[in-house]
Amino acid sequence: MFRLDADKTVEFCDGTRRRDFLHAGSLSLLGLGMSDFLQMRAQGANTEGSDDINVIMLMLVGGPSHLDTFDMKPEAPIEIRGPHRPIKTNVPGIEICEIFPRMARHADKYALLRGCYHNAAAVHAMGHQLFQTGRLSLGGMEHPHIGSVLGYIKGSRGDLPPHVLLPKIIGPTGGNFKPGQSAGYLGKRHDPFVLNADPSADDFKVPDMLPPPYLPGFRVDRRRDWRGIVDRAVSKFETSQDARLLDSTFHQAYTLMTSEKARQAFDLQSESAETRTRYGGNRFGQSCLLARRLVESGVRFVTVNMFETVFDEITWDIHGSPPFSPISGYRDLVGPMFDNAFTSLIEDLSDRGMLESTMVLALGEFGRTPKVNPAGGRDHWPQAWSIVAAGGGIQGGQVIGSTDKIGGAPKDRPVRPAEIVATIYHRLGIGLETELPAANGRPLPVVDRGVEPIHELFS
Amino acid sequence: MRYPLARAALEGRDGPGRIRNPFPMTIPRLIVPAAAACWTVAGLAAADLHILPPSVALDGPYAHQQLLAQGTTEGVQADWTESVEWSSDAPTVASVDAGGVVRPVSDGTALIRAQADGVEATRMVEVSGVDEQFAWSFRKHVIPVLTKKSCNSGSCHGAAAGKNGFKLTLRGYDPSADYVSLTREATARRISLAEPASSLFLLKPTMALAHGGGQRIVVPSLEYQVLSEWIAAGAPGPTNEDPDVVGLEVYPREATLAPGARQRLVVRARYSDGRVEDISRWARYSSTNAAVAEVNDSGVATMVGRGEAAITVAYATSVLYARLSVPHDGEISEEDFGRLSINNFIDEIVLRKLRELRIAPSGLASDSAFLRRAYLDAAGILPSAGEVEEFLSDASPDKRSRLVDQLLERPEFADYWAYKWSDLLLVSTNSGHLNRTALWDFYNWIRDAVETNRPWDQFAREIFASSGSSRENGALNYFVLHKDPIALAENTTQAFMGQTLTCARCHNHPLEKWTQEQYYRFANLFARIGIKSGDEPGDSLIFAKDFGDIPHPRTGEPLPPTPLEGEELPLDSATDRKVHLAEWLSSDANPHFARNVVSRVWAAFFARGLVEPPDDLRATNPSSNEELFEALVRDFVGSGYDVKHLIRRIMNSATYQRSSAPNASNERDDRYYSRYQVKRLPAEVILDAMSSISGTESRFDGYPVGMRAIQLPDVQIESRFLESFGRPPRLVCDVEERSDDPSIAQALHVINGETLNGKLRAEGNNVAALLALGLSDRRIVEHLFLSAYSRYPTESEHSRILDELRQARDDRDGRQPRGRAGREAVEDLMWAMLTTREFLFNH
Repeated sequence: MFRLDADKTVEFCDGTRRRDFLHAGSLSLLGLGMSDFLQMRAQGANTEGSDDINVIMLMLVGGPSHLDTFDMKPEAPIEIRGPHRPIKTNVPGIEICEIFPRMARHADKYALLRGCYHNAAAVHAMGHQLFQTGRLSLGGMEHPHIGSVLGYIKGSRGDLPPHVLLPKIIGPTGGNFKPGQSAGYLGKRHDPFVLNADPSADDFKVPDMLPPPYLPGFRVDRRRDWRGIVDRAVSKFETSQDARLLDSTFHQAYTLMTSEKARQAFDLQSESAETRTRYGGNRFGQSCLLARRLVESGVRFVTVNMFETVFDEITWDIHGSPPFSPISGYRDLVGPMFDNAFTSLIEDLSDRGMLESTMVLALGEFGRTPKVNPAGGRDHWPQAWSIVAAGGGIQGGQVIGSTDKIGGAPKDRPVRPAEIVATIYHRLGIGLETELPAANGRPLPVVDRGVEPIHELFS
Repeated sequence: MRYPLARAALEGRDGPGRIRNPFPMTIPRLIVPAAAACWTVAGLAAADLHILPPSVALDGPYAHQQLLAQGTTEGVQADWTESVEWSSDAPTVASVDAGGVVRPVSDGTALIRAQADGVEATRMVEVSGVDEQFAWSFRKHVIPVLTKKSCNSGSCHGAAAGKNGFKLTLRGYDPSADYVSLTREATARRISLAEPASSLFLLKPTMALAHGGGQRIVVPSLEYQVLSEWIAAGAPGPTNEDPDVVGLEVYPREATLAPGARQRLVVRARYSDGRVEDISRWARYSSTNAAVAEVNDSGVATMVGRGEAAITVAYATSVLYARLSVPHDGEISEEDFGRLSINNFIDEIVLRKLRELRIAPSGLASDSAFLRRAYLDAAGILPSAGEVEEFLSDASPDKRSRLVDQLLERPEFADYWAYKWSDLLLVSTNSGHLNRTALWDFYNWIRDAVETNRPWDQFAREIFASSGSSRENGALNYFVLHKDPIALAENTTQAFMGQTLTCARCHNHPLEKWTQEQYYRFANLFARIGIKSGDEPGDSLIFAKDFGDIPHPRTGEPLPPTPLEGEELPLDSATDRKVHLAEWLSSDANPHFARNVVSRVWAAFFARGLVEPPDDLRATNPSSNEELFEALVRDFVGSGYDVKHLIRRIMNSATYQRSSAPNASNERDDRYYSRYQVKRLPAEVILDAMSSISGTESRFDGYPVGMRAIQLPDVQIESRFLESFGRPPRLVCDVEERSDDPSIAQALHVINGETLNGKLRAEGNNVAALLALGLSDRRIVEHLFLSAYSRYPTESEHSRILDELRQARDDRDGRQPRGRAGREAVEDLMWAMLTTREFLFNH
């Protein structure tokens, strides 16, 4: 059930505008608290978009080279165009990299945005934050992930949490920056439910989701009751967000345990062997399959991290020298992994009539240097890159934006990550003016004022 | 309208969003015109006006100075610069405009006056050099314009690869290189001396020609004037005689302001030639606490919340901050403050800060609360039921400080702190560099150092000033773990100085103190560390090589090895470079060394560090109480880097011993230590406490049964419990590797997982023992409360639980043997008690 955020201390500070002040004054006459007011305001802005839209966000951790994926420059000299060649897709005029043969048959279902760029530092976490929160976490303020905002505003649809993250939070990628995968100032209660298991493992199940056989139901219930008796709700715990949250995590855990629907959603065994193989027998492939099942069961937002780190693992982060990946990793491993998982996801959603209501985004945190480096790799390049967007009303078979002849900078229709975030909110029916209680209860719109959705995606 | 205070009063009443007036005594009176006089007579704090900066000298025809008129009423300042009336008594010497900007007219002195509603202030201004020739300087003016307009930022031309073929150094750290790329590249089209107005350098940023970065500079503006006149004057380049910025001044340095107030900041640069100039316009500003203060590009801060914020001011490679605060709106009583106990200097400083911010602290914690807290924070264990009863019945007044002394001598203290320092030094087989032998040697060296309370400077020297076999000196495994000079340089500065050097590997960092040159001088200290395999696996021989250097990547030449702020060593010196490092690193000359460990130790006792995160000691990350921080560091250095001394100081302070229960005034304070903030226990401590209360042992693969989690030398040990409760992987030196965030996964694990359930149902555990002893239910419940919560149950808890136990036994009686039902009931009670917040938190 969606609860008003009654336990949050909301200060009506001087940052609030006069209009709000008047509202608050009349609200208090009606006996409503500030938290009700903020909540009402958050919901009141919800006039566009649709409540039925779900989102699957694939984080291509490491930063795919646009020149070796979706924005190839076959005419450029060898040190620019690199080792890969483009192939035709089922949409005339659109070419993508040869490492994605299956995707090439479905270009009518997704759009490519080739003019992505950001102005922040060329650090992995900057792109992660920008794509998932719309902002950089500066001034001690940690901004919330879109999925957490969605959960905060709309709550869950059933027993399953509104926002699930698979399989694990992004770990260290260099520099001490958060990856933008928390609820930030909305409070940890709105953090995503993190799977913390490898769905491709033979014995995969959600860790500890069911009581052990020796613990009959009446004892589980009795323990829960007694815990309530012993756990005194004293004031010292109420001022601590962690302590408040601890209780709410227990509540959520019990809800999850007792839900048949939740149990089924996580049961990958009920998928045929053929389906599981089609997605790829690896962590990312099975996470994408699980994402589909979760969305089918009512989860509103699923974030899938393709990798957890960029060190000592073959990822998109092809600097060419250890501990990072060589460029050949694309052809050998990363490309097929993405091709199988993404294509299967799009195929399934399309076959099941769910693509219209499920937005699928595949996002890397930046592009890579147009010029191949001496180690044969490419380094970080936030000045230009490409992303893939499908479903949820997005018009497939189109390319929005382009880069110059070496892929060094956007040539037309540049797109900042915040615009992607705005586009998602827009389609989710969350007005861009919707304000969230940032630190000290200060209202902050979901995206900075002036950031607009990319309307071309829907036409 | 010349009634700044009256205007403030109006805003106070119906201004944007204010619902409670924190200064009810001040403002209503101000509306009465004669009020100011009345106060003075009555001896109350009268509105006081003064002008900042405290001294002003204008040298040269283009000099200027923004003056600030700061009003103070009952300790609260307000920026009246825009509302006072400014005048000059000698307009032919210096003029002042309505916004308080003074400009030179002719040499001499002038008295500048600010007047408002019955108060006034003056400032003498000296003017000189008005007739001197003036030329804009590349280093002093052109670069700051480029920096302020973000032309040389990391996302524009300051990127490593430049932008659209035009490359500047990041934030102008290398003016000579910038001058070359401006004047010599692109066939000199960027600067056209023949036809200055057609220089790309002017046409692009003004968007007279298409510019990817958009319009950065408008025409006319001072910025345009600087660039165009500099070109017209022949575009003189930087010279070695150019003065350097040696320091910054910011006004006001500290101010207590009203909610919603706006405060202009004035920034001056001090140059190596002695000049001091107003550079407010080209400084860059940012707020470290956006929930309290925002700051715009012109350096005007707006107080949007209550509390304290530091406004960081950056110019050239210097950084400084101004502290702006808005007191909380609670009532505090001087009388109550006077009664608070002051055990040592920590309390004096903390209370001073709380008084300033109008936050009333909580009272002292009960003996039960203190006892449990002290055991957990000092030694990572809970007191046994017997120890609790003994302490509670002890009537001696010094029992708390005696307890602290006892705890510090316990073996569990050594286990707990050895674990903490193992987190710091990344002791783990996780990285693949340490095998089991090396792991144990490294760990045992740390534990031995804790046990014998080795001074922290000696601890560091045992790593950096020694050579030989890592089997004989386990500390040397530091060099086995971090093999190359780059990793050593970065990890050493992080672990022992709280400084992040990484950015400087590739470029000077605008908001870091360290330059790229300093980086490579520092890294070169690690360039001659030789490692050979010893006689057995896990033995490494560390020795000083007599060759090897780390070249600076830009020049390809090595630089003399130099500790960050220490003496350089000639490249050909025969001195062991790391010994040279060790001498500086652990000396009083290195201010970061003591500060780093003090910050880390303090953060082990309080939920929030003196800086946050506690391992980020950059100049741009100000402390919530700098005075306290400095006093602690002085005390620590004075004690001979004695960590136990520091811990004793902290634990004996009334500040540490405060109750965690908030009052109306401090419930929102999370950083000034007005109460003990609850914090979740570390994963390992929770697991060990569950083991001790249930009377079971944990099993860790490859380690003897009975070993507690906090005694493990490694983190590469399978444990679902430790994993989900946030054990750090020890891969990166970063306090945030450890997590105490609650999650559904944790709840699921304690409800359904094998860890706690296995302990509760184990044969021969404490559940069995309590029942076998034939204790009454009443005594069993009491025992559980004492061992889990270090307190007796309240009467209502007691009777409620006894009812439940009785009922549980009776309910099951028909269906199960009596004994079994009884045991299950106690197991379930224990489960309930070990999953509450009172158990999982330190409070």
